[in-house]
Amino acid sequence: SHSLREMVSAALKQGQITPTELCQKCLSLIKKTKYLNAYITVTEEVALKQAEESEKRYKNGQSLGVLDGIPIAIKDNFSTSGIETTCASNMLKGYVPPYNATVVQKLLDQGALLMGKTNLDEFAMGSGSTDSVFGPVKNPWSYSKQYRERRRQKPHGENEDSNWVITGGSSGGSAAAVSAFTCFAALGSDTGGSTRNPAALCGLVGVKPSYGLVSRHGLIPLVNSMDAPGILTRYVDDAAVVLGMLAGHDPKDSTTVQDPVKPFTLPSLTDVSKLCIGIPKKEYLVPELSSEVRSLWSKAADLFESEGAKVVEVSLPHISYSIVCYHVLCTSEVASNMARFDGLQYGHRCDIDVSTEAMYAATRREGFNEVVRGRILSGNFFLLKENYENYFIKAQKVRRLIANDFVNVFNSGVDVLLTPTTLSAAVPYLEFIKEDNRTRSAQDDIFTQAVNMAGLPAVNIPVALSNQGLPIGLQFIGRAFCDQQLLTIAKWFEKQVEFPVTQLQELMDDCSSVLENGKLASMSLKQ
Amino acid sequence: MAAPVLCSGCPQRCWALVWVYGRCRHRRGAPVGSTCNWMRGQSSVAQQPLHTARKPRKGEPEWAAVVGLEIHAQISSNSKLFSGSQVCFAAPPNSLVSFFDASLPGTLPVLNRRCVEAAVMTGLALNCHINKKSLFDRKHYFYADLPAGYQITQHRLPIAVNGSLAYSSCAGTKQSQMTTRTVRVKQIQLEQDSGKSLHDDLRSQTLIDLNRAGIGLLELVLEPDVSCGEEAATAVRELQLILQALGTSHAGMAEGQLRVDANVSVHRPGEPLGIRTEVKNLNSIRFLAKAIDYEIQRQIQELENGGEILNETRSFDYKLGCTVPMRDKEGKQDYRFMPEPNLPPLLLYDTASLPAGADSQQVINIDQIRERLPELPRVTRERLVQQYGMSWDHSFTLLNEVDLLAFFQNVMKETRAEPKKVTSWVLNTFLGYLKQQNLAVRESPVTASALAELLDLLDSKAISSSAAKQVFEELWKNEGKTPAQIVSEKKLELMQDQEALEQLCHSVMQAHPHVVMDVKGNPRAINKLIGLVRKATLSRADPTVIKTILERKLSS
Amino acid sequence: GSGRITAEMIEHLERLALVDFGSREAVARLEKAIAFSNRLHAVHTDGVEPMESVLEDRCLYLRSDDVVEGNCAEELLQNSHRIVEEYFVAPPGNIPLPKLDEQEPVLHS
Repeated sequence: SHSLREMVSAALKQGQITPTELCQKCLSLIKKTKYLNAYITVTEEVALKQAEESEKRYKNGQSLGVLDGIPIAIKDNFSTSGIETTCASNMLKGYVPPYNATVVQKLLDQGALLMGKTNLDEFAMGSGSTDSVFGPVKNPWSYSKQYRERRRQKPHGENEDSNWVITGGSSGGSAAAVSAFTCFAALGSDTGGSTRNPAALCGLVGVKPSYGLVSRHGLIPLVNSMDAPGILTRYVDDAAVVLGMLAGHDPKDSTTVQDPVKPFTLPSLTDVSKLCIGIPKKEYLVPELSSEVRSLWSKAADLFESEGAKVVEVSLPHISYSIVCYHVLCTSEVASNMARFDGLQYGHRCDIDVSTEAMYAATRREGFNEVVRGRILSGNFFLLKENYENYFIKAQKVRRLIANDFVNVFNSGVDVLLTPTTLSAAVPYLEFIKEDNRTRSAQDDIFTQAVNMAGLPAVNIPVALSNQGLPIGLQFIGRAFCDQQLLTIAKWFEKQVEFPVTQLQELMDDCSSVLENGKLASMSLKQ
Repeated sequence: MAAPVLCSGCPQRCWALVWVYGRCRHRRGAPVGSTCNWMRGQSSVAQQPLHTARKPRKGEPEWAAVVGLEIHAQISSNSKLFSGSQVCFAAPPNSLVSFFDASLPGTLPVLNRRCVEAAVMTGLALNCHINKKSLFDRKHYFYADLPAGYQITQHRLPIAVNGSLAYSSCAGTKQSQMTTRTVRVKQIQLEQDSGKSLHDDLRSQTLIDLNRAGIGLLELVLEPDVSCGEEAATAVRELQLILQALGTSHAGMAEGQLRVDANVSVHRPGEPLGIRTEVKNLNSIRFLAKAIDYEIQRQIQELENGGEILNETRSFDYKLGCTVPMRDKEGKQDYRFMPEPNLPPLLLYDTASLPAGADSQQVINIDQIRERLPELPRVTRERLVQQYGMSWDHSFTLLNEVDLLAFFQNVMKETRAEPKKVTSWVLNTFLGYLKQQNLAVRESPVTASALAELLDLLDSKAISSSAAKQVFEELWKNEGKTPAQIVSEKKLELMQDQEALEQLCHSVMQAHPHVVMDVKGNPRAINKLIGLVRKATLSRADPTVIKTILERKLSS
Repeated sequence: GSGRITAEMIEHLERLALVDFGSREAVARLEKAIAFSNRLHAVHTDGVEPMESVLEDRCLYLRSDDVVEGNCAEELLQNSHRIVEEYFVAPPGNIPLPKLDEQEPVLHS
């Protein structure tokens, strides 16, 4: 293996590199890749201080574990004590929470170094990471040798280059941060695919755990009944390490299950012949699916089959309605969740002071972008007394049918489902913004959101590069609370496909100070 | 301002003609809970209105009032319904506020076990069906003291439903009969309290204190089985006693721990129900009765004058004694209820359904709570009447005063005196002193033991009852003396010396020959002689003994 | 619904949500969103129970009645733009928004 556990942690342990050196390396890369707009806040001082403490622990032989001294990034919709948390919205500019999200606290308790808060679509509403008040996030692959060469351009273009592609979203900042080697793992959130989608477009592992496995306390909600903290890493093993640290009951989140969680260690599968892989061909083979993704999906199925796994075609008859159902439930919960943002206790407050209602209305107009306002209005429409039964309850009924579809498939003996994650590889920003947010989300979440409706674990695994030189990923979906089994299978698959490393100019230029050229990247990647 | 109203007798649903008075008639000092008879039965009808009222025309049905009550009781718990911040009546502003209470983004509700138990217990005490599965919902509206923009409540499936509240009052001229009525309990739901707004009109701003925000409330929705202010007042008073007996709420109305809203409408029997108004701001039981009666009267007047009733919220102005429209949210309100996604269904168990090996901290057993139910006020009163031969009226008074029942029972435990004597002393003398000085039972300078000792002295005829009063007065001064000490210091013992008494009687007869003469013609004049002898003994002699001696001497 | 949003509905939603449409395009977007959602009506759901949580069969976690939070007024107040002593400050309450046609231009730009 070539994961965090074996490589970086080992290097730290053996003193080949110190946490401070590693931290500075990442800080320097953050500065160099500032044009990606991956970070909203860079917590340089915090990170360096944490690195210093970590270094002491290593010197005293008291390292806290695999994550001690490892740079991480957190999506800016997780509450971080003393660090501004904006949700990429005017509404929360300047808001400094007094507490840490449980998942953030757990990572810090493991000695991880917080590099910063990453960019996203405002309040995580989007699938491109383009609708942020801080501007869009750029996909590091836009500047990779692989992409540039195929476009017959210089590997490092100028920032105004209009061919840059989106990261996907809404956790695009976290994806870009990991993809550009500015950290080793990042937290995203996943409500309808917000972690898996940018993972696919940025060539990363993106895990959406089972609903109830990982605490949401401190995650600023989009849809409480579907949100899950997501994990973005370069390797399945790394994601498993992080998930193992985060999983478990949290007395501050009543929706975390109380069953004890064992630490996650993934065995290396050598034999897949006892596995049954389900392919929901009928429903996922939509006309919009690009031929490249389609062919990779098919090849992946063949790979399992050729290694002796049972590959069966399965049917999820209600899945085609899932995106509509998701839309109704999502906007309704958004309408409710966004009601607290009124300018009174925290966040943006307008200057109007004639009445409470007028103050709230103006604050909310100034604080939310058009996408958020639109979803609030739609959600309120669906929740109106006269519409509640027809839309909200109807959607909840359809949700049960969708969840049952998955139950039926897994009851039939399928271990995991294999599907595409996205319709295609990342598209250029200029193309992406032609459609409105809702339409885009409906297209981009098509393969991912049903998993959230059913609360299942799912993971994106990067598979190969497109003709354009951009990553393409595939999604594995597991049974509820069988996250470990899911990741074990994903790890086997990851090993087979040997996804290539991003070749970023910044990395080529600047790795000699700590290790020989290219070694930092390879440390977490290849031996 | 008075007009005839039909008051429905709830259990039987029969109609009786009564008079309900509006703001012009003040029934000053009417004790709560004992006067419901004035509005029902013949005595009420016989009572002529003091003010001109339109007599119902022949054939025209009377008005009937329908009153529904919605009661919010603050749960008595250490911490709030969904957060670990403290529940406390007085504290610096915003000091009892958790991140969740302030609705900081990302915070989540975590249900307080104690509040669930309080709701179950209250439900059981009110004969409710306890739902093994109940759900939490969000109710949306914007208000400055509701920081999340919604309240978490139980809209679809509340924790308890279909109960009843029996409430009784002493009726009849002798105050010795008791009538019991029942109001159905539609549901009991758990919900969050809001914060408090302090309106600073001078600076045109509102100060927000969230200390109250998130405290657990029991919302009790009563069916409209009540038809006048006094019935409502009696029912609410009984509920208050039940909640206090259970310990599920302190239920003080003045403190806002018990808040009552009344939905009032009037109609003619047989016709559809009228449009209702909601009356708020009822912060005492007396005002509750007044406000409802006023509102009934107002609606009748309005309708009789050809007006119409608006579906509106009205506030009771206790200074003016009337209800006035509240400036409420205008236009259509739509609370856009939605399931609270952060709280999975609340599941309760009974002994039969308790999952094996369940963590006892994580499951609530309804049967276990039922076993822990204390004696309810109604049962206590029945017991007092049966065990001590007490009148219903007295049993009510004993329960109405905080700690008075316990005081009475402690006296009973330690004294040989007759229950009737004890009752009379506790309710007349003891309570009288307390009221006069505006003290609570626990502030009394006289302990139950001291009173018991005093009553023993009286019972053994060691002192006369007038001497006992004197001893009580001394005890009240709280100088640390026992009744026996006071008796001996003040020489209050009854004169037991027969010879000395004979001598005294003799002297008195000699000194008052006219009175002795009178007795010959009028045997009742002997009382005057008895009085004179008692005076001479400084009230320390038993009058019956004196009487015997005098009679003997007079006849000899 | 037909997907067409009336002026009354616009005003009603804006008042309930305290969020304004702001443009004709925003109204059109809602109309499109409703039309999109109407596809749900094609699904046969008779006898299906609504599903609100994937954890509906699990026991709700119960907290013991201990005081473990609070006393953080300062931390809370420092995120507020307007405070007086230890209070949050709101403008006067119970004043409804002006009617659509009474609104100042700023409210509907």
